[in-house]
Amino acid sequence: MQRAVNSMGIVFFPAFDWAISPTHPERQERLLYTMDQLKEEGIFDLPGIREYKPDVAKMEDIRRVHFCFPDTGSNVTSSHLISAGGAMKAAKLFAEKQEDKSFALVRPPGHHAMKVVHGGRGFCNVNMEAIMVESLRDDYAIKKVAIVDTDCHHGDGTQDIYWHDPDVLYISMHQDGRTMFPGTGFPGEIGGPKARGTTVNIPLPPHTGNEGFLYVLQNVIMPILKDFQPDIIVNSAGQDNHFTDPITNMNFSAQGYAELSRILNPDIVVLEGGYSIQGALPYVNLGIILALTGLDYSYVLEPNYRPEAVQQEDRITDYLKKVSDAVLKQNRSPDTDAISREREGKFFVRSKEIFYDTAYITERQREYLLDCDHCPGLLAIESSSSRTRNCLGLEIPKTGCEKCTELGLQMFEQSQKEGRFKNIQLIDRIHGESLRYRDDA
Amino acid sequence: MILGIDVGGTHTDAVLLSREGMVASAKVATNHEDLLGSIRLALGEILKHDSMEGLKRFNLSTTLCTNAIVQDELDAVGVLVSAGPGIDPAHFRIGTAYSLIRGGLDHRGTELTPLDLEQVKGVVQDCRLQGVKVFSLVGKFSPRNPDHEQQMAAVLEGKCDFMTLGHSLSGQLNFPRRIATAYYNSAVWPMFNRFANSVSQSLEELGVSPPHLNILKADGGTMTMNQARQMPVESIFSGPSASIMGCVAMCRPEQDAILLDMGGTTTDMAVFASGDPLIETESMDLVHRPTLVRAMKTRSIGLGGDSAVSCSDQGLCIGPRRLGPCMACGGQTPTVVDALNLVQGLCFGDVGASTAGIQELAKTFQESAQDCAKMIVQTVCRELKRQALELLSRINERPVYTVHELLEYRKIEPQKIYLIGGPGRMLASFLQETLGLPVVVPDHYQVANALGAALARPTMEAELFADTRKRVLTIPVLGVNESVPSDYSLDQARTDVVGRLCRHLADRLDWNVSPADVEIVEESEMNMVNDVSQVGRDIRVKSQIKPGIVPDYDQAVRCVCKEL
Repeated sequence: MQRAVNSMGIVFFPAFDWAISPTHPERQERLLYTMDQLKEEGIFDLPGIREYKPDVAKMEDIRRVHFCFPDTGSNVTSSHLISAGGAMKAAKLFAEKQEDKSFALVRPPGHHAMKVVHGGRGFCNVNMEAIMVESLRDDYAIKKVAIVDTDCHHGDGTQDIYWHDPDVLYISMHQDGRTMFPGTGFPGEIGGPKARGTTVNIPLPPHTGNEGFLYVLQNVIMPILKDFQPDIIVNSAGQDNHFTDPITNMNFSAQGYAELSRILNPDIVVLEGGYSIQGALPYVNLGIILALTGLDYSYVLEPNYRPEAVQQEDRITDYLKKVSDAVLKQNRSPDTDAISREREGKFFVRSKEIFYDTAYITERQREYLLDCDHCPGLLAIESSSSRTRNCLGLEIPKTGCEKCTELGLQMFEQSQKEGRFKNIQLIDRIHGESLRYRDDA
Repeated sequence: MILGIDVGGTHTDAVLLSREGMVASAKVATNHEDLLGSIRLALGEILKHDSMEGLKRFNLSTTLCTNAIVQDELDAVGVLVSAGPGIDPAHFRIGTAYSLIRGGLDHRGTELTPLDLEQVKGVVQDCRLQGVKVFSLVGKFSPRNPDHEQQMAAVLEGKCDFMTLGHSLSGQLNFPRRIATAYYNSAVWPMFNRFANSVSQSLEELGVSPPHLNILKADGGTMTMNQARQMPVESIFSGPSASIMGCVAMCRPEQDAILLDMGGTTTDMAVFASGDPLIETESMDLVHRPTLVRAMKTRSIGLGGDSAVSCSDQGLCIGPRRLGPCMACGGQTPTVVDALNLVQGLCFGDVGASTAGIQELAKTFQESAQDCAKMIVQTVCRELKRQALELLSRINERPVYTVHELLEYRKIEPQKIYLIGGPGRMLASFLQETLGLPVVVPDHYQVANALGAALARPTMEAELFADTRKRVLTIPVLGVNESVPSDYSLDQARTDVVGRLCRHLADRLDWNVSPADVEIVEESEMNMVNDVSQVGRDIRVKSQIKPGIVPDYDQAVRCVCKEL
C-alpha cells in the first residue's frame, strides 16, 4: 500500500442538507460524487491521510473580519459557520504541526465576500480564507500570508479584504474579467496606496489550457512568492477552470490541477468554486490530494479527457507571455499612474459600487484610509445598500499605531452622536474586539 | 439448549446453556496445530456433564481463518481487477496472481470502457495452468453496478472451485478494501471448507446433532455454517466480539459505557453507545490491509495481569512484554498480579514470592514494597484511563456530513465500566477511583467469550442505492439489481431495503425477522440537477440488524450487575 510522503488532514464537510436553492449550482449534491470517489479510492485509509470534522466558527470569528450589515447574524447560516470553521480547523492542523498539510474540502465557498457584507454575492456570504487567516494571525505567530486563488472567477472579495494589507499577498489567476463574473481582476489592480504589489492579478483568456496555467504559475506566481517570503501559503482552490465546468470557458484538467498543486506546494488548501460536480470535482479533488501528499496521480484522468480537445492554441500561449510580462512589470515597478491616490485631507479615498448577484442587492461605498506614517492606517467605510442604509465600518489594523487606535475609538463615539449612521461597527484588531452600535429609532 | 465454543489464542472455552441458565462449562488449552482437536476436547468435557440431547444450536467462534491469514498459510488466488480512472490499481496488488483487466466504470456505475473479455479469458487460462483454483473478481464502483464482475464470473463459470465477487461483500464504497477482502475470502475458502466438513463429521461421531450450526463474526453476530462456507473471511477476529456479547448477555447495558477485558498480556477495550456495542465505522484491518469485514470497535492495549514490571531510567516500566507467569505462580519477574497481591492482601498463590519480587523493585525507588505495589497498580489504571480517553476522543471526532448532524452531535460519555477477564476483578476498586466511574464485574466473567458466542444472534447489513435518472436500484449484498420508476421515493426505498433483507434471511437462512428488528442507520435523498433542472434523485439507505442476544435465552445468564 502507498504511504503519504507529506501527511495531510482533510476537513471534509459536504453539507448534504444545505443549498442556496434546489437547482442552484452551489447545492447539496455538489460534493456527493467527490465523496463517493474519495471513499472508493480508499483515500482516508492511506497512512498519512486523516479525515477531520470541522469546527464551528463563532460570531466573533466573523466579526473580526467583516463589517456585516445590518448585523452578522442575518448574513450567515449555520452552514457558513461550519464552512468557515472547517477552514479554521484546517489552519489549526497545520499551525499546530499535527499535519504537514491540510485541505478544507468544505462548502459553501467564500472568496467573493468582501470587507463589507450586505448579503450573498457570487454564492458567497462570508470569506472563509480571510476568517481563517485572521484566526491564524491571532492564535499563532504567523505574520506574512500568501493566498493564491486558482478559482476561475476573480476572488474580488479576498482582494477587497486585503487590499490595504501589506502582510497578505493576494495572487489571483482567473478567466479574464471582460468575459466572466465578477468583471474585475486586471493587472493594474495591485493593492492600495500603502500595500502596493501585495495584490497580483493575472487575467487568462478563455480556453487557456494546462500549458498556460502552468506557464503563469512558473513564470509569475512562483517568482513573486519567492520575493514575498510568506510564512504560509494558502491556496483558494476553485475547480471551475475545468474543461467540463458548466459556467466557465477554460480548458484545465485534473492532471493540470494536480501538477499545479505539486509545484505551488501550498500549506493549506481551501475549496472554492467548481460546478462540474460529476465530470470534474471527483477527479480534481483526488488529483490535488495525491499531488500534495506526494503520491502517484498519473492515473487520475477524467473519463472524457482527450488531450487534443483541450490543447491550447498558439495565440493563447503568445498572449499569456505578454500578460505575464505585464503583470511582473506591474509588480516589480508599478506604474504610479495606475494607483489611485485620490485624497480628502489626510485620507486616501475611493468610491465603489457593488452588486450582490446572489442576493440582488446594490451597495454604494466610500472608503477612507488614513495616510499614517506609522502603520497601515485606520480604515473607514461608509456604506449604503438597497437593503440597509447608512452604515459605517471602522477598522484599526493589527499593526495599527496609537494615534490610529485613538482616532478609531473617537470616530466610533462621535459618529454615534452625530446620528448620520444607523449601523456602526468598529473592528479593533489590536485588542481583538468588535464593537457595534445600532440606532433603532 | 444451546452450545457456545470460543476457540481463543490461549484457551478454548465452551458453555452449554438452557433457558434457565448455565448447564455446564469447560476450559481447555488451545492447540494451534489442531483446532478441531481442541473443539473435540471441549465438547468431550461438556459431554461428561450432559448428553446434549435436544441441542438446538451450536455457535462456534474460531481463530482458524485469522491464524491462516496472519501466518500467511493461504491458497493462491486469481485476483482479477477492473478499474476506471483514479489511483493506479497496480498499487493495490495482493497475492501472487493479481491481474488488471481493461475496462472501467465511473462513480455512477456508468460504463466508461467495456470489459476486455478476451483478456479475462487469457488470464483465467494462465491462472488455471498455474493450478489456481479459487478466484476473486473485483470491479471499481461495483456496488453501483456489478456488471463487470458478473461478466468476469460468466467466463469463470465451471472453471474454478470458488469465486468471490466484490460487490457481494458489502455496499460500502472502498475499492482497495474490496480487493483485499475478496482476496482473503477466496484465500481461506479451501481451508475453511475442509474445516467445516471435519466439524460436521466430528459432531456426528460424538452423537451431537444440532439443527443449527453457526459461526461467529467479528461484528458480534452469527452466520450459518452454509453462509460461512461462502463468506469465511467474516469469521476472522470474532474472539473480542464474543467477549463483548457475553458482557451484553450478562449485564444488558443501557447507557454509554466502556468494557475492559483484561487478560494475561493485553486488555481489550470496547465501547457501548446507549447499551449497543459500537461497530467500527470503516471495518477492520488484516495484516495491515484494511478490509470490509464489519467488526466491533475494540482497542487492544499491551497491558495485562502478567505484564512484566521493571525499572528503567524513565521510572516504572509495565508491559508490554510478558516474561512468564507472575511470581506468585512461580515466575521469575514481578508482574501486575504480584503488585495486586500485595495491595489487595489477596493471598493469591505464593504471597512471599510476590512480596520479594516487588521488594527488589522498591529498592530502586527507595520506597516500601507496599507503596511500590500501589504505584504499579496506579500506573496501570492511569494508562488504561489514558487509552480509554484517547479511544473516546477518536470516536467523538467521527466525521459527519450534514449541518444538522454536526450541530446535534451526540458525544459518547461513558457512565459505567464493565470489567471482565481473570485479573480484572482484582483491579476493580482502583480502576473505579482512577476513572471516577462505577465499575461492574459480572458473574461468569471467566467464560464471557463462550457465553457471547452461544447467545449471539445473526447480524446483517444491507445498503440500497437508487438512481431515478438511470432508473436503477441495487442492493449489492443481496444481489438485487433492478429497475425502478422515475418517481421512486425515499419512503419506498426504506420499505424495500427492509423487506428485501427480511425476505433474504427467511428464504436463504431460514431465519424469520420482523421488519421492526431492522434498523435504518443512514439515509439520504438528493436532487440530481443538470443545468437548472432536476433530472432525478440519488437515494441511499443503509439498514442493519444490529448485534443482540437470541430472544428466547435473554434471561439465561442475566445476572445482577451490581456496582462495587
